[in-house]
Amino acid sequence: MAKKVKSKDDYYLASQWTLMARKLKKHKLARVSMVILIILYIGAIFADFLAPYSLEEFDPLYRNTAPTAIHTKYDGENVGLFVYKLDKQINKKDFSVTLQEDTSEYYKIKFFVHGSEYKFLGLFKSDLHLFGVEQGSNGGTGAKIMLFGADSLGRDIFSRVLLGSRISLSIPFASAIISFFLGITIGSISGYFGGKVDMVIQRIIEVIGAVPQIPLWMALSAAIPPGVSTIKMYFYMTIILSFINWTGMARVVRGKFLSLKNEDYVMAARLSGVSTWKIIWKHLVPGFMSYLIVNLTLGIPGSIVGETSMSYLGLGIKSPATSWGVLLQEASSVTDVATNPHKLIPIIFVVITVLAYNFLGDGMRDAADPYK
Amino acid sequence: MEEKTKNRFWNGIVEFFKKDLVSYIIKRVLMFIPTLFLISILVFFVIQLPPGDYVTAHIAALASEGEYVDANYAADLRADYGLDLPVYQQYIKWIKDIVWTPTDSAYYRLYHSHHNWKYSFAYGRDVWSVVEERLGLTIGVTAVIMIFQYLVSLPIAVYASTHQYSPGDYITSIIGFLGTAIPNFIFAIILMYLSYKWTGNANVGLFTPEMLQNGIHLYNFGDFLKRMIIPIIVIGTSGTCGIIRSVRAQMLDEVAKQYTLTARAKGVPEHTIIMKYCFRAAINPTVSGLGGVLASLFSGSTVTAMVLNMQIQGPVLFKALQAQDMYLAGAIVMVQAVLVVVGVLISDIALAFLDPRIRYSGGGR
Amino acid sequence: MEKDNIIEVKNLHVDIAMTEGTLTPVRGVNFEIKRGETLGLVGESGSGKSLTCKAILGINDKKCKASGQILFNSKESGEMDLLSLNPKGKEIRNVRGKQISMIFQEPMVAFSPMYTIGNQINECTLLHITKDKKKAKEISMEVMRKVGIANVEKRYNQYPHEFSGGMLQRALIAMALVCNPDMLIADEPTTALDVTIQAQILELMKEMQKEFNMAILFITHDLGVVARMCDRVAVMYLGKVVESGDAKTIYANPQHPYTRGLIGSVHKIGGKKEERLFSIEGTVPLAMNLPEACGFYDRCDARIEGLCNKADPELVEIEPGHQIACFNCPHEACKAQRAKAEQMIKEREERETAKAANEPAKSKKKKWGRK
Repeated sequence: MAKKVKSKDDYYLASQWTLMARKLKKHKLARVSMVILIILYIGAIFADFLAPYSLEEFDPLYRNTAPTAIHTKYDGENVGLFVYKLDKQINKKDFSVTLQEDTSEYYKIKFFVHGSEYKFLGLFKSDLHLFGVEQGSNGGTGAKIMLFGADSLGRDIFSRVLLGSRISLSIPFASAIISFFLGITIGSISGYFGGKVDMVIQRIIEVIGAVPQIPLWMALSAAIPPGVSTIKMYFYMTIILSFINWTGMARVVRGKFLSLKNEDYVMAARLSGVSTWKIIWKHLVPGFMSYLIVNLTLGIPGSIVGETSMSYLGLGIKSPATSWGVLLQEASSVTDVATNPHKLIPIIFVVITVLAYNFLGDGMRDAADPYK
Repeated sequence: MEEKTKNRFWNGIVEFFKKDLVSYIIKRVLMFIPTLFLISILVFFVIQLPPGDYVTAHIAALASEGEYVDANYAADLRADYGLDLPVYQQYIKWIKDIVWTPTDSAYYRLYHSHHNWKYSFAYGRDVWSVVEERLGLTIGVTAVIMIFQYLVSLPIAVYASTHQYSPGDYITSIIGFLGTAIPNFIFAIILMYLSYKWTGNANVGLFTPEMLQNGIHLYNFGDFLKRMIIPIIVIGTSGTCGIIRSVRAQMLDEVAKQYTLTARAKGVPEHTIIMKYCFRAAINPTVSGLGGVLASLFSGSTVTAMVLNMQIQGPVLFKALQAQDMYLAGAIVMVQAVLVVVGVLISDIALAFLDPRIRYSGGGR
Repeated sequence: MEKDNIIEVKNLHVDIAMTEGTLTPVRGVNFEIKRGETLGLVGESGSGKSLTCKAILGINDKKCKASGQILFNSKESGEMDLLSLNPKGKEIRNVRGKQISMIFQEPMVAFSPMYTIGNQINECTLLHITKDKKKAKEISMEVMRKVGIANVEKRYNQYPHEFSGGMLQRALIAMALVCNPDMLIADEPTTALDVTIQAQILELMKEMQKEFNMAILFITHDLGVVARMCDRVAVMYLGKVVESGDAKTIYANPQHPYTRGLIGSVHKIGGKKEERLFSIEGTVPLAMNLPEACGFYDRCDARIEGLCNKADPELVEIEPGHQIACFNCPHEACKAQRAKAEQMIKEREERETAKAANEPAKSKKKKWGRK
């Protein structure tokens, strides 16, 4: 009995965030999505280490090859995971080239191998990679492990997906944060001051909302000067993607402000001389922060698709920088897909990320709803 | 009797004009003007965005192609675009060009023909003629896809809301989610590939070469429809999910309302409650979302059209952007935005007819 | 069931399955209403009144599972158990609106904003009386006139937002009466209205009751309204009827501590000036995982420690037509129940001490066994 009373008190006294977290925990799909997203982001952070090859490492022999086959039995003997080296076979009749596994020796997949050098987290130099192949059983070299196959230059798609996820996962996130602050600032100005300011801001939001997203993004991308550095490119893309997203946020903030600004506690704060900005940030915004975060989460998938589409068209991130959209350029025609279906693998990551954000946002929306 | 109906008809008309509906519509149409103005400013801003000077870039491009460029031509062009004027005057000049045709422009002197909305370097024609060429088809394709979207999503939404948490509800939402999660261009490629694999025809482009020659007639209309399948599925599904989700949520809201209980207590059958009361009320926000759906359709069709090589405005926009032909790009963005705003206007007016509360309060939303 | 009863509710339970557990807002409600009689169902918010009356028509939310018996004496099809009917089926729909109709607390949201008032009233007529549209419209308008809506020709084609709250409640009553039902359920029909309008609506309901000779189940938390409207009263607390009987008897001689509290909290004209209004401490607890105890125990001023928190009293008759559920009451029937409960508690405690004495030994053994 005493325990029950305690749990009830617990329920009533818990903060809004605790309640949300508790409800979110019950939402299975949202929980799974959260785990997936955490894994993806960890993968992006440690991409240099997890990827066996660097962004630009290539092997002309491996051009367009399908995912490397992984074997366990060599000569009927179990020797652990290994791969074969590929070998060129020239057909003497029509001089066509085919690639075949060279089964004369095997290359064991090893963990913590030394490969190309990178700067881990931009801080320490290292050449350690989680896995890779080194020497063959007879001391041969030249075998590669390409889990997702290779692109048209013979680069490892698996490594590129991992390294590309840094851009593909962080640009939408960064632009969401920019939209978040833009949206709160503009929306709160609109909602708090009302009148003409509100009228003008509302019209602007309406107009930006009326312009089709991707065409506008594309048109804005023309502002990116040709030949800018990767970092600048990244910066431009983030700004472009937040150009539209803040409007939704601002609209939510404004609506909340209109309904909250006449509440007694706001009036009380104003009467006791609290400054307008302090009222906005200390008294009003926390009241609907959960809604904003939900909105933020649900806005990210659109940005991911946007970034992917634009980079795919060559209007966004460009080589040598790599994002998932850039990787998908390899699959731009029916023939590409028909001959090298493995080039569609990056799409799986896009879809998973978008779905995970959607489900997480949905779960959070349900959790933030006090009436459920 | 006939007299009576006639009277009733006229009374209806009179009644209609007496209501605030007309003033509401007029108000709404007037609000259209500042919106247009803001759109034009936004588009002008986009046009001005690229670094450097438009004409210089163009001349440089011509020169690099080894073409002889008359120095006067460049000067004329500069004057024509008003590049040496302050920005606001450039804007006014641009608007002037949109509204009527100047005859004293460099273009006119060079080609002895009028041009509207400036000159498109990428196409070597005036911008409006490029935009106009594919405008009809763009609107047509978008309209077809939109109709498809509503035809598919409304029944599904009603089903999903009345069978909440049933397998059907889950399946439709999963398909819907996948529709939004897969970027359009990749979805298009996959479908093209499947179509190629199954039928031996990738169905690229809206028309067969034969259609382009002879035009669309009854005998090849079926072929045309076949070629619409992939665009409809690709562009349609991406928005369908959104519509289903919003209508479903709206339906669930309405089902929970007191008046459904009243109706149930009266002995009204369940399906009548759903259709007469809930659906009727849930349709209103759907109608008001029409503009947004239109925007997302334009958005979705842009990239898809490039992959599928459809003869609509998307690929033109892409080509314009690649050539840094900003006046053309701006014009396309503008035309699409205006179409969306017109869509919003139409949906607002339709809403005024549909929702008695707006009808009588003069649109005090 | 007795012949002159129109409805008998027997041991009605309503369960709501929630993620936190099962909520039981209605825990065994019993009452009956005679033809033409008005029964007032009184209680605080959260006592389960609304759920009880919605259960009669089977219009509770899907999540609510009702069990027990609701016997209805239908003029058309004889005696029937409304709970056993399919809530979406034809039989129950033939009862709803036609034989038993209902009016709601908030008339402003009880009509769909999308259709005219006339359309929504007429829907009922068309469903139950006649398929002839012209005739139906006449009937509907006639009833609208009867409930005091002026200028019916115009009002018929107006939308709910053009009506005032009082007018809407009249329209709602018209909709309920249009099929001449045998019984009317009124779920706090005046709560959302102005006091002056309240009086008008109550007057109207009385008039209509006389004219149509129907039984009314009147749900309210307003005892003044009960005094004015009802022949008999059933007081509900935490999903149970704690006292029921003749309205006059209960007012003059309330027996249950809760009823006494309720009546004490009503302001009386002509009462002593200095006297403070009585108020019952606390709020109705949540009807989840309730212990076996009197639901009113925590708030009761006449509770008996060791009895009321260990057993739940049943409704017993203390005089003809007057029943209460309380242990602390001088009447014979209550005393008998109290003795019985005390006996039961004693036995149970003995059993538990015996169990407790055995248990530690057992658990020790188990632990050893595991090692």
